[in-house]
Amino acid sequence: MAMAPNMRTEDAARQAAAPPTPRARRAKRLIPVAVPALLLAASLALPGFMFSSDRRPDVPGLGPAAWPNAVLALLALCSAIWLFSEVWLLVRGRVSTSLATPHDEDVYHYGKALTGILLVIAFGWLLPIVGFALACAGFLLVWCLYGGLRHPAVLLLVPTIGTVALLWMFMGLALMPLSRGAGVFDRFSVWLLQLLGIY
Amino acid sequence: MTLNALLKAALTGAGSAALIASAGMAAAQEYPERPIEMVVTFGPGGGADLMGRQMGRLMEKPLGVSIPVSNVAGASGNAGLTRLRTDPADGYTMGTLISLTVASWASGLGDSKPEDFQVLAVVQNSPSFLFVPASSPYQTAEDLFAYAKENPGELTVATSGYGTQDDVTLKLLARDGVQMENVPFQAPGERYASPIGGHTAVLYEEPGDVAQFLKAGQLKPLVVFSKERHPSFPDVPTSVELGYDISGLDNFRTVAVRAGTDPAIVEKLQSAVEESVASAEWQTFCAETYSCIQPVTGEEAQAMIRDFLQLITDQLAS
Amino acid sequence: MQTIDLLMAGFASAFQITAFLTVVAGLLVGVIAGALPGISFVNAMAMALPFTYAMNVTHAMLFLGGIYVGGVFGGSISAIMINVPGTPASLPATWDGYAMTKKGQVKRALTIAVTASAVGGLVSALLLTFLSAPFATFAMKFSQPEFFAATVLGLVSVIAIAKDKPVITMISLLSGMAIGTVGVDPLYGQARFSFGIPEVESGIRFVVVMIGLFAIGEVVDLVATDRDLRPRKADGKVAGASFRDIWNVKGAIARGTALGCMIGVIPGAGATPGAVIAYGVEKQVNPRGKEFGTGIEAGLAAPEAAKNATTGAAMVPLLTLGIPGSAATAIMLAAMMLQGVNPGPLLFIMDPSMVYTIFAAMIIANVLMIGAGVGVAQMFSTLMRTPPAILAGFIVILSLIGAYGVRNNIFDVYVCLVFGVIGWAMKRVGFPSAPLVLGVILGPLAERYFLTSIANSRQDYTVFFTRPISATILSLALIFVLWSLWPSVRTRIGRQPAQAKPKER
Repeated sequence: MAMAPNMRTEDAARQAAAPPTPRARRAKRLIPVAVPALLLAASLALPGFMFSSDRRPDVPGLGPAAWPNAVLALLALCSAIWLFSEVWLLVRGRVSTSLATPHDEDVYHYGKALTGILLVIAFGWLLPIVGFALACAGFLLVWCLYGGLRHPAVLLLVPTIGTVALLWMFMGLALMPLSRGAGVFDRFSVWLLQLLGIY
Repeated sequence: MTLNALLKAALTGAGSAALIASAGMAAAQEYPERPIEMVVTFGPGGGADLMGRQMGRLMEKPLGVSIPVSNVAGASGNAGLTRLRTDPADGYTMGTLISLTVASWASGLGDSKPEDFQVLAVVQNSPSFLFVPASSPYQTAEDLFAYAKENPGELTVATSGYGTQDDVTLKLLARDGVQMENVPFQAPGERYASPIGGHTAVLYEEPGDVAQFLKAGQLKPLVVFSKERHPSFPDVPTSVELGYDISGLDNFRTVAVRAGTDPAIVEKLQSAVEESVASAEWQTFCAETYSCIQPVTGEEAQAMIRDFLQLITDQLAS
Repeated sequence: MQTIDLLMAGFASAFQITAFLTVVAGLLVGVIAGALPGISFVNAMAMALPFTYAMNVTHAMLFLGGIYVGGVFGGSISAIMINVPGTPASLPATWDGYAMTKKGQVKRALTIAVTASAVGGLVSALLLTFLSAPFATFAMKFSQPEFFAATVLGLVSVIAIAKDKPVITMISLLSGMAIGTVGVDPLYGQARFSFGIPEVESGIRFVVVMIGLFAIGEVVDLVATDRDLRPRKADGKVAGASFRDIWNVKGAIARGTALGCMIGVIPGAGATPGAVIAYGVEKQVNPRGKEFGTGIEAGLAAPEAAKNATTGAAMVPLLTLGIPGSAATAIMLAAMMLQGVNPGPLLFIMDPSMVYTIFAAMIIANVLMIGAGVGVAQMFSTLMRTPPAILAGFIVILSLIGAYGVRNNIFDVYVCLVFGVIGWAMKRVGFPSAPLVLGVILGPLAERYFLTSIANSRQDYTVFFTRPISATILSLALIFVLWSLWPSVRTRIGRQPAQAKPKER
């Protein structure tokens, strides 16, 4: 289930992210049609993917599929209504008002936004591999550069102090088992935690 | 799509971690030299959580390091087991493995097998009972079963779910003519509130989880599913006495590590568990929860898990 | 009166220096943890549990109670200041609270929020003290059909919140409910939509979804719009809310408090549905309901009062019956059980002094919360003076730690990232994300209440309508839907006349 809206919104994001050329504007007009269409398709197709094992024991009552099926059927119905009204508007050449981009900001740097998203994803991806300490320090360093901070003192102090403080707060005090990373990174993390007196 | 790729990356990472970790065998002498993580496979507040926290706290003394608890809940305990199975087999991660999770394997959950784990010891074991609220019209098991035989499916029993050992017990009772409706309650609190509030006729549970209601006289035990009477409830008849051959579906809780952990480390942990169980504090705890047993260790403990899984699998298949 | 005597004794022991400091420490931990994006009060309480091992059971309860009270409020600080709800219950605070911040009224918003929360919490603590027995009896009358009806009320109040877009709101809500079905189902133990990946069997938790949708998306917007969250000079001139401002929203606070107390005693519901229902009801009842979402004081006060009013109410079933209704009270139960204390009716007979110390502490905590809330908010506005880039970086890290901390599972971090991307895109195209989060919260509750109700009534589907309380709540829900949909229906039917006389009321 998590993947379907993902596909849908990534698609929408790609269209929304483009610079406002006439083609992009046309694409933007298609979003209110594409979103319900994708949702409709997903809600109709998903019931078939509900169970990945074929073992269907004889169950009492309504069974585990009843609720998701009902939710998805309602979702399909609502998406169909929305799709219908959007297509209706499109055919009659009127502008859809159902989805409105927030107007409260004057500038929106799509490039910067996408870079930011990529940085966040990279951080999450590195987390279990290099461990929390290294990922956190690295992320803070890159994020500061990305945010336009160039002062060497800032670039040195924010990642180191930030990481040590977070390590102490969450691994030292709250005893959370944050990732130490794999292999050599694990040994480094253990060494670091012992150095800091957390272990 | 992103999800898939990320997951694969994570799993590869975890796999290589296991390979590298197996190199450091010489570490067994100095073990333990840093905190050992106790993975509790359920959320805070339940029976497994209390056991894991109590055990972790008591094991700190013999092992001389701190043992922080982390709750890794989800999928009937299988999420925590995935963690236990994929962390390096270096003895720095142990976890709770309980009968409910083993039973869930029989209905296809998770991808764990008994041989993925090295059970340090089975530390708690308790048979299940049928309880009725104090105001119930059925004050003995005979009354209850007689009514259920005459009115099949009319009595409701609050349980933890379909496909669990609770379900298996009710199916076995139904086979013998006592047919009652299984009413699964996912949240333990609601499971106990419903019979106490008079909304469900009977409760199927182990006594330790409802100790406060037993002491307050809100729930009354009618029958224990076991061969022998429970020492804390000498007046409660067993199912076998009443002519229903239902036993071996007890609720047990164990502490386990990943299979393949250095035997020397396993031995250290095992003796720490045994020392903790022998402590006065643990004895008070297990007496409060009616679950005291002599710890079962080694091959015997592994066999207990395997046999239980086999029993549930057979019963669900029939 | 015996209760008064016992309560006085309770106050006496709660004001002993160690006890008092324990409450204050808990409160501060709660407010700070709650205010950190990603770290919810449930997280904070679970993290604090090991620290209670060394305390006696009364102090343990005082500490956890303080975190609970403080944490339920704390989430609103970040909701109001940076549009990132610290806990799911603070979701409604982003609607009118953040709107006030954008108007430069951040101090006013915070003052109103903390006062409303404290009043709600205080009333609910008094209820716990004086009326716990009748409320416990009331709670026991509720069973699964009533829980289902209450959840339905929560779901429909989401529709009421929608601004003239019922269909899109429904779609967002239903998508959330569909996401909530991922993982092992509550009754049959079968994995759904797992696509053969074992990690997915654990399901998708609402806190993780919320962190992804709100925190990550907001952070990205923060850097992409050159927005400056530093308090503007104008903010300094605008003082906090005056007594008159608070008095003006007394109706909203009263209604929110009453709803919160009722919803709080229902096991499973808790602070989030309480706050959402209160917002929905207030939007309908309040004369300025139409303007809600643009920074209206009543729209902030009602849900704030309601969510803190659930704290004392949720402790009624815990202390009187030994039944924890929510994740937070389950942790309190664990703390008591680990010390060998079993809550329930016997506790009132065996150890009334402890019970009344807890009552007294809940009352004290709610009073002190005003100070703690203002202090922490002050601290946060100081923090906001740091460059937005650094602030944003820390929010990202805290968010992912929070997502990880829900179940100490790296899978949840990936889920959070996926929802971060989805949330950002949803915001860009103007698709509402709050209903989706509420769908993920309420959907699974509705499912298991529904299925258990049916099983408990031996497959009788009329049970929801034949039980008086359940039938009443469901009819309320129906009235609520019709009432809130009527304006847009009327517009559709009498198209021209409705446009001829716009913006009446």
